[in-house]
Amino acid sequence: MIRAVALLWSLGPLLWQLYTSLRPADALVSGPQGLGSPGGGIFGGWTLQNYSQLLAADPPFWRYLLNSAVVGVAGTALTLLLAIPCAYGLQQQRGALRWGTLALLLAASLFPTALLFLALLEWARQLGLGNHLLALALPYAALSLPLAILLLRAALADLPPELEDAARLEGLGPLQRLRFVLLPLLAPAIASTAILVFLFSWSEYPIALTWISRESLLTLSAAIARIGASSVFTIPYGAFAAATVLGSLPLVLLLLLFQRAIVSGLTQGAVKG
Amino acid sequence: MTAWLLMLPALTLLAVVFLAPLARYAWLSAHATSVLTALEPVANGGANWLRLAQDGRFWQDAGQTLRFAAVSVGLELLLGLALALLLRGPRGGRAAGGGLRTAVLLPWALPATVMALGWRWIYNEPHGPLNSLLIAAGLPPYPFLSTPASTWFAVVVADVWRSTPFVALLLLAGLQAIPPELEEALVLEGADRWQILRRLLLPLLSPWIGLAALFRLAQALGVFDLIQVLTGGGPAGSTESLALYAYLNAMRFLDFGYGATVLLATFLLLLLPGLLWLMWQRRAGSAA
Repeated sequence: MIRAVALLWSLGPLLWQLYTSLRPADALVSGPQGLGSPGGGIFGGWTLQNYSQLLAADPPFWRYLLNSAVVGVAGTALTLLLAIPCAYGLQQQRGALRWGTLALLLAASLFPTALLFLALLEWARQLGLGNHLLALALPYAALSLPLAILLLRAALADLPPELEDAARLEGLGPLQRLRFVLLPLLAPAIASTAILVFLFSWSEYPIALTWISRESLLTLSAAIARIGASSVFTIPYGAFAAATVLGSLPLVLLLLLFQRAIVSGLTQGAVKG
Repeated sequence: MTAWLLMLPALTLLAVVFLAPLARYAWLSAHATSVLTALEPVANGGANWLRLAQDGRFWQDAGQTLRFAAVSVGLELLLGLALALLLRGPRGGRAAGGGLRTAVLLPWALPATVMALGWRWIYNEPHGPLNSLLIAAGLPPYPFLSTPASTWFAVVVADVWRSTPFVALLLLAGLQAIPPELEEALVLEGADRWQILRRLLLPLLSPWIGLAALFRLAQALGVFDLIQVLTGGGPAGSTESLALYAYLNAMRFLDFGYGATVLLATFLLLLLPGLLWLMWQRRAGSAA
């Protein structure tokens, strides 16, 4: 019973979007307010016109999904490239140096990133990074680094120290130990980290909003906001809902596939930092 | 030595993106950089800060941001705890399966702009589902997003919908770290569920609750995406947050000096929950 309420609360708003997206525009606003309106009732008159309209727009809606995917993958790759060596180096430090760095990283991971947009925009302008999709990976990696380093460092700390000692006796240098001994064992933690960073990069809004102005390069978040702001005077809610559904779909898939990794990443990051 | 070299690239990027902006804002806030100065910085002493002190809109937004953060994080902790207990399942019973967990987690995984646009339709007057329900019940429709006195709470509800799963997952991890023997011992003493919650679970969960509160408060005080898309700060500025005001100053009024001043002031406001948390940690530490 209570579980049903929790399910309804979590999924209800989304299911309603799905329902809205499949209704013809006039059914949403005609009669006494949509629900149970004359001529069709709640379940009359399904349509895919909202979706075809979105996909036929210029640029087509899938373009935004593709852009977000590109930024998400690039941001994730860059984050891991920087975070893995850093976590390893950090784990070698001892005493106040390590705890100080960890505390700073924790503080940075709490920081609401929207506050950084102005300074980042200035640098983007000076360096000519605006309207380049891949350039977004740079701030995204930087903003994801604190959490990524904390997660990976915690995973490294969980590995038995004898492992590295044995590899050292075998004559492996630090980079070889990282590459051949530790990295395979870190795979689960790397997967958790990657999926969290991807979710962040996929969804990020303030920086995408200020760095990208060209329509065909907009990421999903920025495009959705623009769609929402573009038509204040009409009520194209069928199209809004279709956009919401299309924008949610990839995440539903990700969540279904990686639920376990996401949960462990979220909780580990908070606790072991 | 190698250790430092391995850390260097990441730490450099972190310094550029987290520390340098704060220094840059401090510099910008000591200069006028706006259309009036042809966007060239001109030192103006403390004029930006004087203006901030007398800016009614800034203080109104500060109050609104604090109210938003306090109420939404309070509700998220309450509901998050309930949801965590629910996901854990009854004592001795099976924890909730992956399906329920995935469903519950979904609101958190959606981009804020996507869910904000969705909630705009839910609140739509008179065609949205909430008003359809009101009308079906014979009540007049309610303008959820255009009532200055109450729209802030509509924003809180949307934020609670999105962020409760995060809090719940954190608290669930905390619950699972509590040895079941402790609970069984209390049951043998004849404690009911309410007493178990108050005497055992809440005290042991308190570090987790503190962590969730700290993280959510910091995020809520910097809220931007949700409000920009859901209400745009309206009606009549009644939901404008500090981050949105800073954004408008810089991007719409092209006043970078003042925008940076608002951003820096918001950052100072952020230190508040951090300090409270540290004090609470210290007290908890000395009590233990």
